[in-house]
Amino acid sequence: MERRSVLKLMGATAALAGAGLASGRAAAADKVTIALIPGLTADGFYVTMHHGAEAAAKAVGAELLYQGAAEWNVSLQVPVLDAIIAKKPAAILIAPTDKVQLIKPLKKAFDAGIAVVCVDTFIGSGVFQTGAGDADFPISYVASDNVLGGRMAARALAKAIGEKGKVYVSNVKPGVSTTDQREEGFKDEMKKYAGITVMETQFNDDDANKAAAQVQAVIGRTPDLAGVFGANLFSAGGTANGVKQAGMLGKIKLAGFDAPESIVAQLKDGTFELTIAQHPAEIGYFGFMAAYAHVTGNPVPTAIGTGFSVMTKDNIDDPNVSKYLYKSS
Amino acid sequence: MTISATARSASLPHPIILWIAQFRAWVFLVMLIAFFEIWSRLSDGTSFLFNIYNIQSIAVFATAPLLLALGQTFVIISAGIDLSLGFVMGLSSVIAAHACNYFAARWGFPPFAAMLAAILSGTVVTIVPGLVNGLLISRLQVPPFIGTLGMYGVARGAAYLFAGGMTIAVDNDWYSAIGNSRVLGVPVLVILTGIACLVMHYMLSQTRFGQHTYALGASKAAANRAGIDIKKLTLKLYLLSAIMAGIAGALYTGRFTAGAAQAGEPLLLDSIAAVVIGGASLFGGSGTIWGTIAGALVIAVIQYGLVFINVEPFWQFIAVGAVIIVSVLVDQTQRRLLGGRQVE
Repeated sequence: MERRSVLKLMGATAALAGAGLASGRAAAADKVTIALIPGLTADGFYVTMHHGAEAAAKAVGAELLYQGAAEWNVSLQVPVLDAIIAKKPAAILIAPTDKVQLIKPLKKAFDAGIAVVCVDTFIGSGVFQTGAGDADFPISYVASDNVLGGRMAARALAKAIGEKGKVYVSNVKPGVSTTDQREEGFKDEMKKYAGITVMETQFNDDDANKAAAQVQAVIGRTPDLAGVFGANLFSAGGTANGVKQAGMLGKIKLAGFDAPESIVAQLKDGTFELTIAQHPAEIGYFGFMAAYAHVTGNPVPTAIGTGFSVMTKDNIDDPNVSKYLYKSS
Repeated sequence: MTISATARSASLPHPIILWIAQFRAWVFLVMLIAFFEIWSRLSDGTSFLFNIYNIQSIAVFATAPLLLALGQTFVIISAGIDLSLGFVMGLSSVIAAHACNYFAARWGFPPFAAMLAAILSGTVVTIVPGLVNGLLISRLQVPPFIGTLGMYGVARGAAYLFAGGMTIAVDNDWYSAIGNSRVLGVPVLVILTGIACLVMHYMLSQTRFGQHTYALGASKAAANRAGIDIKKLTLKLYLLSAIMAGIAGALYTGRFTAGAAQAGEPLLLDSIAAVVIGGASLFGGSGTIWGTIAGALVIAVIQYGLVFINVEPFWQFIAVGAVIIVSVLVDQTQRRLLGGRQVE
């Protein structure tokens, strides 16, 4: 008990020291500068997150730096991070591309007095400001709960197939934290339905062509396949094409994940039964606000969870749902 | 046995061995299919091969990597390599999607005309990366591996820029039909790819261009001394492979009714593997279109078949890798047996 509160105190002191340094610099300059480093730049999800962060920057009159690598890769992200550290922003929002390999590079930012906020993905255990381990220094972790997203997909898909039949997950590749968590949540939730069998996951390497061939092969063997959960956009899109080629559109229900603008037409024409939309703009907005609050000396929660929306053809025209579509630019 | 007979049999292997060597990839394909057929019958009494549905699925699966591999075959025979194809395909896919939407919305093109304009635009755009690759390699003596790797990055960036980091949805029934409908049970994609195969086979085996390609790959210096315009030939080769990738990208957009910058990225290595399994040498001078077709089918059959017979996903990675290694090992053994004789 005693030890824990001492650790807590140490964490708080460290945070305060960080805040003191940062706000000192903020006072010296005209504007607070906060950087956002996405997991990769060429992705609607992060483009939308960027919009959310921009809106927050405008709301408080702060400046946003946005720089990232073209692909999801540690050795490409770290040089970007180093370049940003050299610019000495008050805080860095980052979607770390690896939970272990990014610890040391981010520690450098922390040691330079820059506050770190993790968005979408995390370092260490993702539990921050506990005084435990070497990766607890980020101020906060702002993200959607992907296990929950997988559960929501499972519930909605179970309902769509009348709570019985065979389903499987079309996933990208093993070892990606977010898609692994979606699969985990999906499979775990499906255990609650006695009539539903979850078959082997198929990995498609983010290749729509392969995802299509895989679902065709599964149908060839299991003609009574009832539904598929595509754990990301390409998995879902490729699977949809395979189902179409097999002439089973409408008979096999598809649940997708993520919501680019093109999903609207695919929900309406029945290609997808439903899709789970994350709220990346929310992640960007609250990530930025958390960093801003911290550097201006205000307390911030160590974890902020953002929500999901289930989109179907029945609700997609509702502005309260369609506002969560990812923006293209 | 006389000395001369021994010498003759050493210099010229039995015709059957020669024949098997030439159609090695097809023999391999037949063995794979037989394996899946037997497994499928034993495990749950269904047929793998005698099932129209499986054949259609595998054929469509093979079209995209095969289209990339056709152009790659020419480049590899010339002792080059084109690493930019994946993103050249992506660039074409994105441009085709934009063109389809643009011509319909701005100029009021009817769906069929918009589709043609889209396919044409996607394909024509690839002339730029093809020309740049060709000029870099032929005029500036940049090694193909480096030059096309640079273009891989440039085409990738351009594709993502045009796409704005998104997939570009297309709403055109004709375009969708090109990618998804069938004529007399044969998917249109398969028909189009088949035509491309015939044209490429003719070009490689029957024209001066094709013969010069072999000559260039076998010996650049000899080809030069024989009066072949190597620079022009090299330029043409990289242009051809980029255009084939452009066609693949434009067809991808029709099939998935969306343009995607990353459309061809995972296919690049499959395309190279298809050419090598098909019997071409990465050192140039040998290879055939028939071999490449078999190579692409080998990859498609194994990936489809493993899912069909319900092999656990992680074993699928191992199996695909093992097939590529075994295939190249067989190739090496065969080359030793034939004393370096190359199959054209």
